[in-house]
Amino acid sequence: MELGWIELSGYRCYPEIRVEPAPGVNVFVGDNGSGKTSLLEAIGYLSSLRSFRGAPDAALVRTGDEAALVRGEFVAGERSLRVEVEIPVEGRRRVLVNGKRPSSRAEVVSAVPLVAFLPDDLDLVKRGPSQRRDYLDDLAAGLWPSAGAERTDYERALRQRNTLLRKEGRRADRATLDVWDDRLSHLGAMVIRRRLELLERLEPRLSALYAELGERPEVFTTRYEGAPLGPLSLSDVPGLRERLLDALGAARGADLERRVTTVGPHRDEVVAIIGDRDLRTRASQGEQRTVALGLRVAAYEMLREEKGATPVLVLDDVFSELDPGRSRRLVEKLPGGQVFVSTAREEEVPLVGTRWSVAGGRVTVREGE
Amino acid sequence: MMFEAPIQRLIDELARLPGIGRKSAQRLAFHILHVEEEDARRLAESILSMRSEVRLCDRCFNVTDSEECSICRDLRRDPSTMCVVERPQDIVVVEKTQEFRGRYHVLGGSISPIEGIGPDQLRMRELVARIEDEQVSEVIVATNPTVEGDTTALYLARLLKPLGVRVTRLASGLPVGGDLDYADELTLGRALVGRREM
Ligand SMILES: [Zn+2]
Repeated sequence: MELGWIELSGYRCYPEIRVEPAPGVNVFVGDNGSGKTSLLEAIGYLSSLRSFRGAPDAALVRTGDEAALVRGEFVAGERSLRVEVEIPVEGRRRVLVNGKRPSSRAEVVSAVPLVAFLPDDLDLVKRGPSQRRDYLDDLAAGLWPSAGAERTDYERALRQRNTLLRKEGRRADRATLDVWDDRLSHLGAMVIRRRLELLERLEPRLSALYAELGERPEVFTTRYEGAPLGPLSLSDVPGLRERLLDALGAARGADLERRVTTVGPHRDEVVAIIGDRDLRTRASQGEQRTVALGLRVAAYEMLREEKGATPVLVLDDVFSELDPGRSRRLVEKLPGGQVFVSTAREEEVPLVGTRWSVAGGRVTVREGE
Repeated sequence: MMFEAPIQRLIDELARLPGIGRKSAQRLAFHILHVEEEDARRLAESILSMRSEVRLCDRCFNVTDSEECSICRDLRRDPSTMCVVERPQDIVVVEKTQEFRGRYHVLGGSISPIEGIGPDQLRMRELVARIEDEQVSEVIVATNPTVEGDTTALYLARLLKPLGVRVTRLASGLPVGGDLDYADELTLGRALVGRREM
């Protein structure tokens, strides 16, 4: 899949621009703060309807403007997909896909396969479990539209239950809590099942990639820790809903006391293991970096195989963090397709392609390229 | 930017309407400023007369211009099946399918702690009273296929089953997370025919 054009108005530092990127590699060169990451962020937004920097929607609107407009068209062979989003400072955003309102966010997310490598990807391995949960849930949503819908619904039900607990505390109506517990365990079991399915597919892939990206061959495995169910695998899926419901029941007293839901997939941990070592606590930074890269490469490969279309690839200031050897091996693992790279130091980018200058809210193609 | 007080007042009022941002409110206000005075008067009067003439049906809480709505007054309709919807406009959608010949009950929303809506804020007590008074034997729950609509449906099922009524839910096929009034008639008609036991 390729982005044919993108137009931004009132987005971050851009009053108004239109960029028609090349089908192959596009390198955006600019100083820090020039807006090159914002441009990549906008491309990512058209695929995921979310900022990959984790910024809330209102933060994307240029200071002084009432709304940001992000429009673009993706092309895959005969098929084309025009995504248009209006993001107001206040109120709900409006999304159109080929001129029509999509039925859900999940429909858009699974339509445009895109993988972004980000400067703080090391957090996937080094930090707490929320980064790993998000990685799995985002990838599942990209692969399967219903997985995205299940996750959105789970998060919605969780917010509703938490609001009830926060507002009412011990006075919360028990019959109402009972139905939220039922919905939460139903949706939660679906979210966990998707994660377990993905982990099973990721393990052999990561084991292979670990060596291909230059480390001494070791087996990559994972351990999924359900809160508070303990280690879970795909064989636990039948009956998982009932176990979650029981766990919510058992935690009811604590939840009423603490006014928050303490049980469920939003609290689960995913432990990554290389050989027999916990990657988070007993691996070198280099090994952690390799697994972080491997997770993104695996997402790219799985999306390509499952969707039958090459994902759009976004590399946000990634090469400055990598030694030349890892950079070269990473590039070798990512054949074909459209690539967007941002960098402040273009000599660091080991890719041949169209080079663009980004400065002062303008994006211009370099002369002679 | 602030305008002359009378204009600003209208802009503020219009901007409070759902789906209308500041910019649209400004555009509408200036449009109204420039139309014939007669047109502006007709708009203002139709808003007021709608509010004074339209009321909620005493029985089902549909919108009506008399004590009971036309559906509740229609003796050919089967009183033993009742379709429960969130809002009056959902009735219009279900009616269009021509698959339902019973009566309705409008809850007035769905369970949503975020919006401060619990069972007590919905017309559930009235529903229970009607089921007993009108000898209803089947309740079809047609709340929206959203997290809140599903939760409300489950709450209703648990509330009503002890009364000895059959409780069914519209079959899937409705867009997930959508509103009932975005579902096309054919899909909704199929969902009605294929409803399932809860
Ligand atoms: Zn009525």
